[in-house]
Amino acid sequence: MPSREMKQSVENGLVIAAELAAGQADASAKPKVIATRKRCEADGVGLSHYILMDRKAGK
Amino acid sequence: MNAVSHNLTAPSAGRYANLGVGPTLLPFDIGHADYMALSEPETAFWALVRKDQLAATLADGPLMRSYREKAADFARELHALRFELKPSAVYVNPTERCNLNCTYCYIPEGMRRSGQHMAADKLIAALERLKVYFGTVVPEGKKPRIIFHGAEPLMNRGALFAAIDAFKDDFVFGVQTNATLLDDEVIAFLADRQVSIGLSLDGPLAETTDATRLTFGGKSVHGKVLRAMDALRGYASWSVIATCTEKNLDQLVPLVDLFHAREVPTCMLNAVRCTLPGARTVRPDDEALARGFIAALERTHELFRQTGRKMVVANFANILLAILAPTARRLMCDISPCGGGRAFFALAPDGGMFPCSEFIGLDEFRGGNLFTDRIEDVLESPAFRTVTERNVDRIVPCKGCAIRHFCGSPCPAEAHEMNGGMERVGAFCGFYEEQTRYAFRLIADGKADDFLWDGWDAKEGGVESSFEFALP
Ligand SMILES: C[S@@+](CC[C@H](N)C(=O)[O-])C[C@H]1O[C@@H](n2cnc3c(N)ncnc32)[C@H](O)[C@@H]1O
Ligand code: SF4
Ligand code: SF4
Repeated sequence: MPSREMKQSVENGLVIAAELAAGQADASAKPKVIATRKRCEADGVGLSHYILMDRKAGK
Repeated sequence: MNAVSHNLTAPSAGRYANLGVGPTLLPFDIGHADYMALSEPETAFWALVRKDQLAATLADGPLMRSYREKAADFARELHALRFELKPSAVYVNPTERCNLNCTYCYIPEGMRRSGQHMAADKLIAALERLKVYFGTVVPEGKKPRIIFHGAEPLMNRGALFAAIDAFKDDFVFGVQTNATLLDDEVIAFLADRQVSIGLSLDGPLAETTDATRLTFGGKSVHGKVLRAMDALRGYASWSVIATCTEKNLDQLVPLVDLFHAREVPTCMLNAVRCTLPGARTVRPDDEALARGFIAALERTHELFRQTGRKMVVANFANILLAILAPTARRLMCDISPCGGGRAFFALAPDGGMFPCSEFIGLDEFRGGNLFTDRIEDVLESPAFRTVTERNVDRIVPCKGCAIRHFCGSPCPAEAHEMNGGMERVGAFCGFYEEQTRYAFRLIADGKADDFLWDGWDAKEGGVESSFEFALP
């Protein structure tokens, strides 16, 4: 694990495991751009005091 | 700048990002070794761009051309989600009372200690009125939802059971409970009727849970909640909420271990809402919260890789969904206007209607009464409109923020009570920045699906792709 980055993320006080892992691969082999979007019928009715996540439940 | 209309007859051809009527593409750092993010906040469009490709991508290249074709669709989609939904759920408080005195509760202590129950016939009359109303707004073939909430709904168990049996064919039901009254008989009744059951637990050990969740007499409830969790193991539709405060941040990783070991299908790790002063006494620091929260998420991922079994952290999954498929989001706090008063509303035991449970202790947000007012009128009442018209596009600093439609600047109740007005930011801006950056890092590394429900994007579930762009 690159110690410079490790040190930096500890200093930042943040867990940046993904960053550290990513730093090990060859950057030029990765896609230059990633952009996606999906859609469906909007059906969100949850709020932060209750978990209402199952899309099928309301059908 | 008008990124949406792309009026090519205007003096500006809309060809250049950030010029004239061209799209606004804001670059921001996500803390990733190789990628930066670009965001067009108005349409919630984003791209992850390799750092050595940022300049080329911002020039009039293939990404810009593809996006231009879709911009109007994306803008319409987001507008519908933000402004055109009708209610399809009600959070019903069948009692003001609770047997616990949690430090942070948004239901005022006086109500919880000595408030009123709703009589069974009144609860049934309330659901009848709601049924008639939903008949006019919810499409055929879809059932509206009733979530019994509170205070502690099981303190009024007789009325609750009667209402569930009377309307079992009309609504999909859920109950959120502190689990102290969730005995085998109650579980059997609810499970038999496929009612989804939410519990609350704040720590892996009694000492942590006890720091925020005790009875009025100061007794621990930790053991009772664990017993209820054991009894629910194997049931398809249950979940646990942990409220994250300065008292449990260092315990979120072992808490996730406990949830996973007990086969909790879904949990939430919620930042405490700072609407009432009691909650502010245990408010965590944004950065410490982000650190504890992300460590807990990483732990869920490790557990998934070790065991093959996922435990979704629903509030974080929702941020991922807001990015990957805006219309697929389930929770309506992280969007602006939030879902309060438009996608759902809350009903108090006296028939009082509030935009959201979070407002039940704040009488100025009472929009009307279910028994005496038309629901349509209450939805348009000044009290409701104060909430439904709170718009992130008008809040400083949110209106210029690249992630404003992944965050939504929650919550209006907090902004109003703690920060002095609806046009103010919510309580945890820094935390939202960090969780959104983390979400983008996961997407960059192809790991996002590991944090979402299996089949979340299945075609059979009505999810389709509207943009797919990868430049090798
Ligand atoms: C108000 S309780 C009502 C149902 C039930 N008594 C219970 O404890 O689950 C609903 C959920 O909201 C959480 N909650 C209460 N006050 C909160 C606050 N200020 N911020 C975030 N969550 C809160 C509780 O911990 C619980 O998970
Ligand atoms: S942001 Fe606040 S008011 Fe809006 S739905 Fe969430 S908890 Fe309720
Ligand atoms: S609260 Fe912070 S992260 Fe959220 S929209 Fe506002 S400025 Fe952006």
